[in-house]
Amino acid sequence: MSGLAKTLCGLDWSGWLGAGIVGLILLAAIFAPLIAPYDPLGLDIEDRLAAPDMKHWLGTDQGGRDVLSRILFGARASLSVGIGAVLIGALIGVSAGVFAAYKGGLGEQIVMRVVDGVASIPLLVWAIAIVGILGVGPLPVGSLLLPNEVKIVVLVGCLFSPVFARVTYAVAKRIAGADYVRARFLQGASHWQIVIGDVLPNCLSPIIVQGTLLVAIGIVIEASISFVGLGVQPPQPSWGTMLSDARSAIYSGEWWLPAFPGLAISLTVIGFNLLGDAVRDLFDPRSDARTLVA
Amino acid sequence: MTGPILSLRGVSKSFPQGGMLDRLLGRDGRLVALDAVSLDVMRGDVVGIVGESGSGKSTLAGLAVGLVRPTTGDVLLDGQPMAELMRDHAGPWRRRVQMVFQDSSSALNPRKSVARCLGETLALRGVPKAQCESEIAELLTLVGLGPEIGPRLPHELSGGQRQRIGLARALAMKPEVLIADEPVSALDVSLQAQVINLLSRLTRELGLTLLFISHDLALVRTLCSRIVVMRKGLIVEQGPCLDVLDRPQHPYTQALIAAVPKGLAGRRTPLPVRAADAAAIPETREDIHGAA
Repeated sequence: MSGLAKTLCGLDWSGWLGAGIVGLILLAAIFAPLIAPYDPLGLDIEDRLAAPDMKHWLGTDQGGRDVLSRILFGARASLSVGIGAVLIGALIGVSAGVFAAYKGGLGEQIVMRVVDGVASIPLLVWAIAIVGILGVGPLPVGSLLLPNEVKIVVLVGCLFSPVFARVTYAVAKRIAGADYVRARFLQGASHWQIVIGDVLPNCLSPIIVQGTLLVAIGIVIEASISFVGLGVQPPQPSWGTMLSDARSAIYSGEWWLPAFPGLAISLTVIGFNLLGDAVRDLFDPRSDARTLVA
Repeated sequence: MTGPILSLRGVSKSFPQGGMLDRLLGRDGRLVALDAVSLDVMRGDVVGIVGESGSGKSTLAGLAVGLVRPTTGDVLLDGQPMAELMRDHAGPWRRRVQMVFQDSSSALNPRKSVARCLGETLALRGVPKAQCESEIAELLTLVGLGPEIGPRLPHELSGGQRQRIGLARALAMKPEVLIADEPVSALDVSLQAQVINLLSRLTRELGLTLLFISHDLALVRTLCSRIVVMRKGLIVEQGPCLDVLDRPQHPYTQALIAAVPKGLAGRRTPLPVRAADAAAIPETREDIHGAA
């Protein structure tokens, strides 16, 4: 994809900062087993509630587990929910948006009104309500048992889909009315060929921007769900559960317990937002026009 | 054998107006874009269709090319009704009638190179891959461009070049009828002349039937053999181009011609019809037919 490479070259400094943060956290999540100094689940009663020092850079928690190792492994939960949910949401939402924009008529009305309905209730309310109803155990779907994490990814993905549907719909509606789509139709191209070959490629930029920004929201949602105990289940590390466990430590002085997972969440969210904003600026038609004229 | 290649038989087209709520409440009105129009286009004719904005020119183009289905009436290609020829989506109508669009920047997919755009069109006509390259070069030569333009993207082309690619794409289907909807109104005057000359040459060389939709009487005079004057969804006058332009019978045609400043016959400066003139023009269908 030469387009993507060109895009990355046009990033400004804040975009590069965002890309750097996101890249580092991605690497940390992927290579967590290699770089984590301790076992994230390993209890060490001797060393419990140790302040950050040379042995435990970010200190230890009530069970003597190394906070740095838990944050590194927790990145896996956060990123997989954030990115997985965005991929699922994009798949559903983009299909729905393109369908509504291209088909028009009654189908368009039905799809977009359903989208409005889902979008009218705040994401987090939906997420907590549905997980609360389904419970935190594995969900049987046919002969398959869906673990809670997968359930959350799918759920947040479904909740993201209206956002993707709206963004895609807005752009696809314009493109579906463009003369080059009419021309393809006049040549006898099938609807499928037109949608895949002409409509979708021209909708991609806003979808990518939206996806980048939604990863950040997905991470916050995962942390929130885990914080209230409906997400990643202990002892598995997640930034949300770590924060939840650290509540009692806020008053007793073990500042490193809430501070570092909180910092990890903030940093990741800032990283994805910076990246998303920079990519949006790049795809902006005005900045596009500037590069086209040159 | 000598029947019209394209004919409209009492074709009307109206569009629903108002939103879904209006429709539910029964407050829907319909905008009549074309009102029982009949028109025969003979093979090889170059027909200019003129009229003010909203007169139904573009709806007529959409009908002829099969983008718009008539509300009532029939559109026939070589004597066969549209409904029959279009039963299959990729039916014969699609290959035999093609269109050149007004806005060259919207007529080409911004992400497809010229070669890909033409290649995909040829593939839809069933041209084998091996022949595509030579056919693309041929098409480019036909519209007066070199093969070096093949790898370029639309934004790397000038407006005139884009319009030629749009024309080449239409010709790639080897159509019998070409519909050009204001193909030069977005181009500057020197480019207009080039594209008009190109159209004129191609219709002669390829034996194309051309429907040229324009509001520019000077261009129609130079290019077309016949002229159709439209107003408010009706054909008010039609006939051989020079006859109509030199001896207009209908008051609206007279007003259109009078609106072009004297001495500027070759320039693209259609002025709006003056209020006094407009008042004298019959408004209703009965008036128009009574006057004609």
